[in-house]
Amino acid sequence: MSTPAYVFWQKNPALAWREIDDETVIISPNDSVMHELNETGSFVWKNIDGRKSAAELAELLVKNFEVAPDIALSDTQALLEEMSSRKLVVTVPATGGVSA
Amino acid sequence: MNAPLAIAVRGPRKQLELSIGCVPLRFQMSDPQLLSAASARYAAFTDVAEQPITIALNDGAPSQDAPVEFGYELEGAALRAFSKGIRFDGVRNQYALDSLLRVLLSWKLLGHSGFLLHAATVVRNRKAYIFTGRSGAGKSTVASLSPQGSVLTDEISLLRREEGAWRAYGTPFWGEFRAEGSNTSAPVAGIFRLLQAAENRVETLRPMAILRALLPNVLFFSAEAEANRQLLEIISHAATEIPGHNLAFRQNATFWEVLPA
Repeated sequence: MSTPAYVFWQKNPALAWREIDDETVIISPNDSVMHELNETGSFVWKNIDGRKSAAELAELLVKNFEVAPDIALSDTQALLEEMSSRKLVVTVPATGGVSA
Repeated sequence: MNAPLAIAVRGPRKQLELSIGCVPLRFQMSDPQLLSAASARYAAFTDVAEQPITIALNDGAPSQDAPVEFGYELEGAALRAFSKGIRFDGVRNQYALDSLLRVLLSWKLLGHSGFLLHAATVVRNRKAYIFTGRSGAGKSTVASLSPQGSVLTDEISLLRREEGAWRAYGTPFWGEFRAEGSNTSAPVAGIFRLLQAAENRVETLRPMAILRALLPNVLFFSAEAEANRQLLEIISHAATEIPGHNLAFRQNATFWEVLPA
């Protein structure tokens, strides 16, 4: 089941991350696992700020890359779900607060 | 006849001062056997410097109430860093001491733009060649194939960024080759990820690939987010500033022929 489109996303504050060569490396200190994002994944990651929904992130993707809106949205949602399962991002409900 | 009383004799507190990678350390300990073993193990790294990091070793004092800035436990031995000093407790032998020392250095090097890396370091033409890889990758083999006196370490390399340039230091942490480490340093020529192969070959890596090669081989033990951010920043500098290569090699000394000068 996918996350509702109206929630906002934010980075897990416990992570360390760096961008090199338009790609991003993310370290989760608790388990010392390294995660990597490609160029478009890095773009989405950079724009995750706790104030944007998957749809808004997908809109930014469309403006900056040659990708159709429906594909951008489905890819963004898939990426966010994958990152959520790895505890790299969390959702912020409209009422405030953070949920995993 | 009564059995003799077993009394744990603690001698007066003695000091052992070391410098590893220009990080000054002062151990305070009262166990004469541990002092003797540590003095022998780190003989090449004894040094007296101003403002060393003071480490109270098995001093038996009650725990401080002060918050622990960094802590680590390993098989009954514990490192605790407070704002006013560091304690190693439960250290039974030189091997436990060595393990905690590596943990402490990996943390303290953050403040010196440095890090510890599973790598052999060999000096050639006054430059340090860093050969990294997990156990079995060939670090000790590279060290054993290098001229006597040129090996800074065959197991744990120490790299520091000093005034925008990278420098490799010898360490007293050795591997199978038992190169006991050389307390010298040299500017870094390059990082080489070891890959065993039928022929010698060098492949230049992009910074992201260098970062990918370095991270699994970095020694770091803190789970604290800010410390990991600092570490990742330092390693990223290394990945973008130090030339990095894959080195496929035949496990004989001919690999030097394919390395960039």
